[in-house]
Amino acid sequence: MARGLTREQLGITESMVAAFGPTIFRMSHNLQVRTGDPVRLLEFEEIERQREDMGLSDGEIAVRLGLTRGQVMFIRNLEESRRFKTGRQAYLLDLGGGRRFRHEKVTPLENRFRYSEDALRLRAALSFRPELVERYVAAGYWRDETLSGWIAQHATTRPDAPALSAGSETLGYRGLHEHSLRLAAGLERAGVRRGEAVAVQLPNTPEFVVTYLALCRLGAVTCPVHMPYRAADIESILSHSRAVAFVGLSGAAEWSPAAACLEMRGRLARLQTVIALGAPVAGAQSWQELAASAPLDEREVAMPVGSDPFVLLYTSGTTAAPKGVPHSYHTLLSNARLGAPEHRVTGKDLLLSAAPFTHLFGLYSLHIAWAAGAAAALLPAFTPAALAEAVQRLRPTGLWTAPAHVAALRAQGLLDNHDFSSLRLVIMSGSACPPDLVCWFADKLPACRVTQLWGMTETQGALYTRPGDAIEVASSSAGRPSPGTEVRVVDPAGNRCGPGVEGELQVCGPLLFPGFLDNPEANRATFTEDGWYRTGDLASQDSTANVRITGRTKDVINRGGVKFNPRDVEDLIDSHPKVLQSAIVPMPDPILGERACCFVTLRPGAATLELDELVAYLLDKKITKTKLPEKLVVLKEMPLTPTRKVIKGRLVVTS
Amino acid sequence: MQPMNGAEAKARIVEYCKRRGALAVGVADLSALERIAPAGYRPSDLMPRVKSVISLGVGGQTQGTWQLPAKAMAYSGSTETRAYGVAYGCAFFIEKEFGAPSVYVPPDLDPEGGPRVPLQSLKLHAEVAGIGARSLAGDILLHPEFGFMYYASVFTELELPSDAPLAENPCPAPSCVNMYRSVGRTPCMKFCPAQCLNGEVDENGRQKVMRYDMAACAEFTQEYEAVPKILAEAVGAEARASGAEGLLDPDRKMLWYKVSAGSGGWFAQCFECMRVCPIATRAPQADPILRSEHGQAGSKQAG
Repeated sequence: MARGLTREQLGITESMVAAFGPTIFRMSHNLQVRTGDPVRLLEFEEIERQREDMGLSDGEIAVRLGLTRGQVMFIRNLEESRRFKTGRQAYLLDLGGGRRFRHEKVTPLENRFRYSEDALRLRAALSFRPELVERYVAAGYWRDETLSGWIAQHATTRPDAPALSAGSETLGYRGLHEHSLRLAAGLERAGVRRGEAVAVQLPNTPEFVVTYLALCRLGAVTCPVHMPYRAADIESILSHSRAVAFVGLSGAAEWSPAAACLEMRGRLARLQTVIALGAPVAGAQSWQELAASAPLDEREVAMPVGSDPFVLLYTSGTTAAPKGVPHSYHTLLSNARLGAPEHRVTGKDLLLSAAPFTHLFGLYSLHIAWAAGAAAALLPAFTPAALAEAVQRLRPTGLWTAPAHVAALRAQGLLDNHDFSSLRLVIMSGSACPPDLVCWFADKLPACRVTQLWGMTETQGALYTRPGDAIEVASSSAGRPSPGTEVRVVDPAGNRCGPGVEGELQVCGPLLFPGFLDNPEANRATFTEDGWYRTGDLASQDSTANVRITGRTKDVINRGGVKFNPRDVEDLIDSHPKVLQSAIVPMPDPILGERACCFVTLRPGAATLELDELVAYLLDKKITKTKLPEKLVVLKEMPLTPTRKVIKGRLVVTS
Repeated sequence: MQPMNGAEAKARIVEYCKRRGALAVGVADLSALERIAPAGYRPSDLMPRVKSVISLGVGGQTQGTWQLPAKAMAYSGSTETRAYGVAYGCAFFIEKEFGAPSVYVPPDLDPEGGPRVPLQSLKLHAEVAGIGARSLAGDILLHPEFGFMYYASVFTELELPSDAPLAENPCPAPSCVNMYRSVGRTPCMKFCPAQCLNGEVDENGRQKVMRYDMAACAEFTQEYEAVPKILAEAVGAEARASGAEGLLDPDRKMLWYKVSAGSGGWFAQCFECMRVCPIATRAPQADPILRSEHGQAGSKQAG
């Protein structure tokens, strides 16, 4: 309508709008040009001459174009509505108060950063229950904190305090911060944007740490890839994570991860950039060149915030195919910040991780170190000798390690000829700890508190014994919940088990991941209706809240209807003088349904082990006969995850 | 009621307005306005027996105001409403004192004229009345003493002697001329966030050409289309095709304007051109605080 008249009453057609719209728009007040100062000078002839340039009224335009005034008003209005963009006032938010408009510095709204579809998919995966969010924020568990923010804070308040120690080189917080800003600028130039996943396959080197922090600063999501993974595993992760970039070595033993990923680009549409650390790789960007960039202009790239996605991990897959586990800064950093004092880690500590940073337990050592303002020592890759040598040379005060690492140290007698006296805290995690191993380690390190930690990719540090706990507790249990963490042990019907009764361990709390990425089926299977995470681990909790992990629900063997958890038997077998590591899995049986099959690796010097010899040993230990292994397979090498957990899914029983 | 000549009446009206807060008051040459304004927007189109058009200006921002971020600038003065208040009182004053029918000119859009068309050009009244001159900043009026003001008008059947337009245009200021000669732009052109200002300064340091893209400026400052556009976007394409565009027709857009102007959030100025204008910010009496001190000093001297 115009002046109460409709389009039909005015005789307006779309062709008329198209034909006259631009002319009316130009002739009207929308574009004004004045020459000289004719109105002030009352130069009437000049005013008349410039009338069209100054902008005509609708009536004047109507006369010039042979339209009615109502038609002109209608068409002008329509043209303005179609041309005018709304939302332009948003520019005002960047102006004034000392901030001056600079045309060359203003990015049009439509060209400003927007999350990609893949980044939004990752963000959507952070789907927490609102009542839990409210509780975690109110309790102070979740704060607006990021890892790069922590480093920046330390760089300001204690710039020269050591942050990273790698052999002869020690980097202070200021230096580490600057290195990360340089690489962040390079990565940004290489196309890495906020919210995008970037796969990183690097050993525990300064380059990994700087990459991790640079990605954090950009708001990108680090997707760690375990070092042993080869092309097929990597492609699977790159495909599922939709990573836009891969950061890896130019050359590793017998292959080039960077070159392999370049070859995948044809099949992975999202993978835009391959960044190679080491020698140049044709088609890949040089990590060293990116890291030599001028530091990121921090005003140009917004800092991430606590609720942003932080890392996307893939489960180590002891039982099934990898699943994407997204974590926010909230989940991981709250767990680390609250955990550091529990572990009695202070700003004076130096923490060494034998676990790879591509695993959450390894990253946990970094998070704990930087939560406390401590330093992280680096062991590029675990071998028993390398670990012993690193402890002796770097003199860490804290050691993050797995039972398999310690077992290997013991097997090779490395504690006897290396100096481990700097250690005052050991955290053992990654798989069930044989009690005798914990006791042995504690005996060897009398000035050190040996503790256990139980966690998963989905939780980071959920349970741990504290440094003040007696060795009887530290050797026999995974400890008590970390601050804010809730655990419960339930029977198959979902009822809570009493003290000492075995059931499935379930976890809830501010540390818990929100659910698997794009895997509703797995999420339905792994979360209870009230939001607890079914860990799949069997456990019992004593009256002091300490939890003993007793096995995996999927490891339970059903022998003719009699179910048993083989974990106790494995512990006994591990104590056999010839056995280095054992794992019992069910083997199909036409009569009983399942029987127990034991896989072992032998200690150096042990030539063979027969089933009869093993059974005799176990019977001597008073084991129930129905739990005895009925087949024995001696392996040269046990299939292990990067954190030295046995991959039972690969232990296939053959006839 | 005492008969009074036009000059005396004008003096009393000016005194009234200034006492109520007007900084500058002038009477425009009615015949000039009738020639310049387009048909439908002449004073006589609104008030057939008008004899005089009084224009007054109020305003001024404190120095602190110019430090505000742009999002807050528009709300820091509310000077236009003060101008309207003075003009409103002035119309009553004339009727009471001189018995001449008078009207405060509504500073609103013309419902018959459609969006962005005012009932009258208050700017034209002020310019012809000699209390402002067009600037390179989109023809915003500036005054050499008071800088940037808001204007209001009163139409009256009382015949008053008219004033001449300003003899000199304060825009561009000497510093702006220097900048133009150095970089080809004046501060207002350079810092306009919509880049809607352009122009040229001649060899004498005077305005040669002023170019103003009001459409670009309006996108920033007069978003009363936003609400109907949001509504139109909210409905599906099918609904839009069958008439949701009617939300934006001229009559309804006028209503959106009324709603938006009332809320304030969708209808403002960005003020960036005035923030960098030396006349708006540093004219001798542009700052109300300095003005007040000046006035007090004057009173003391007089006493």
